[in-house]
Amino acid sequence: MISCRYLTRRFGDFVAVDNVSFDVPSGGICALLGPNGAGKSTLMKMLTGLLAPTSGDAFVAEHDVRKEPLAVKHAAGILPESLGLFDALTIDEHLRLSGPIYGLSAAETRHRADQLLHALSLEEGRDTFLDQCSQGMRKKTALALALLHNPRVLFLDEPFEGVDPVTADTIRNLLVAIAARGVTILLSSHILSIVNRLADRILVIRGGRIVMDSPASELPQSLEEVYFGLVEASTVDDLPWLGSSQS
Amino acid sequence: MAGLLAILAALARAVWRDLRTFSTLTGNNFFLVVALIMIGQWQSGLFFIALFGILLLVPLAGDPMRKIPPDRLTLWPLTRGQRIALRLSSPALTPLVWLAVPFLFRAAGIPVALGLIGSALAIQVLLATWRHIMTRRPPMRPFRLVPAPPGKLGGLIQKNGRQLLSVLDTYVALLLCVAAIAFRIASPKLDPEAGVILSLLAALALSTQAQCMFGLDLPWGIVRYRLLPLRGREILFAQDVPFFVVLLILVLPLAPLPGLAAGLVALGLGHHASVLQPMQQHRWRFTGGALFPFGFFQVILMMATGVAVARQSAWYLAAAVAFYLGSLWYCGRRWDAG
Repeated sequence: MISCRYLTRRFGDFVAVDNVSFDVPSGGICALLGPNGAGKSTLMKMLTGLLAPTSGDAFVAEHDVRKEPLAVKHAAGILPESLGLFDALTIDEHLRLSGPIYGLSAAETRHRADQLLHALSLEEGRDTFLDQCSQGMRKKTALALALLHNPRVLFLDEPFEGVDPVTADTIRNLLVAIAARGVTILLSSHILSIVNRLADRILVIRGGRIVMDSPASELPQSLEEVYFGLVEASTVDDLPWLGSSQS
Repeated sequence: MAGLLAILAALARAVWRDLRTFSTLTGNNFFLVVALIMIGQWQSGLFFIALFGILLLVPLAGDPMRKIPPDRLTLWPLTRGQRIALRLSSPALTPLVWLAVPFLFRAAGIPVALGLIGSALAIQVLLATWRHIMTRRPPMRPFRLVPAPPGKLGGLIQKNGRQLLSVLDTYVALLLCVAAIAFRIASPKLDPEAGVILSLLAALALSTQAQCMFGLDLPWGIVRYRLLPLRGREILFAQDVPFFVVLLILVLPLAPLPGLAAGLVALGLGHHASVLQPMQQHRWRFTGGALFPFGFFQVILMMATGVAVARQSAWYLAAAVAFYLGSLWYCGRRWDAG
């Protein structure tokens, strides 16, 4: 369902993503892990058509990302890193804007929007303009937009960050349920405890390269131990003024 | 005391940054036209300068304290006395005060001036108290009334309409048209040519917005556009519809055909700048575009087409429509190409 071969993206001399290849089959939940700046978001952007690859090929729901961008956008639900929301619209208006663009009738859009807003605990704030929303509300709005048109593939860039634990659990259960119905999910996250309970496959990316690709059930240690083993922690200098009597 | 001074210094920096909104005028087509008028006959441009002045000073006359997030202000370890001092000294950072106070002392004398400044401070305190009470109520958003037309692009058109109503260019065009209509009612023997000129001026006032269509969507809203399964020409068309609607409403009582022809040309040229050189804009400011080459050619071609429609033949309007459609197709493809 998601397939990429030798995907590379350069920014001048800097190689953000370097010869990345992997496949995620239909119904799979693949987690993309890595430190900040590892290339996760760049990879996501290339797979969703937001950024052209320097070289390599990518296919989403059997559509070539470069040659059939509209078909990819119809098939995929995307939660981008920047969320991509308009300050001039309310949460409800975002959903009503999006539905008809994906070919949904006004009644169907309304019906699905009501259900999504309820599931994501956004009902009370549905008439709030986005410039007055908390980060969590913005994240949930972008997630609702990604789900509204019943996509076959989901790309979720840090879906759990900034979301309260109860809603995070709701989202996790929702993702497990739709994956069981055949929806393919590629997500990036730094919250290893949720990833551990959600993903059936783990990809770790560092310096633009995939340094680990393993089924979640075949990890030799706990996910946290594996991750810390692969990603070198930066050394922290002591800040002697913290905690001292000096104000 | 040091903390209070640091806050006031930060406020002064924020106000100074706001003053840079005057710099957007250097990229505004209408300002170019006003400058050209003033070179020829400086008295004729005074009315337009007054329009700019009023529209720029209204947001700049706002309370500088609103630039501090209320939560941050609460968190700072300031005493009650320091908070009152901050409240009373912040109006001094308002640009309108810088202009008004010297004038006041010179015109009214010291006792009257001091009395008026005291009254102004009292009003500031009352306003701050009122705002404190009103923060518990949901804010009024009149643009909520802008409806979404039916159809696939309805939501986008609604959003773009709201954005067009939140830039000052629209209000310059509106004030021009209101003044023209008032003048027409007051003196029925208005020269028919005046209607054409005012219609073209209204279109010129809006024209910079035509080259900065994604300015209020930057930086993040543009990502949503890229995610939507829409062709570039559809996205551009959804941007153009509110522009046409507002322009039509404004020029209808004046000279609709020349105004619409000029608007079509403005959009035709503006698409290119909007797609290839998107420039971030801010709400409640004038739109600052690229005066050279886009703005310059927009002004020349808009005036030429509008005058040709008014004096030569309405067929020039058909040429403007063809130019607009060609631009929509070409720039739509450029958008699709990323």
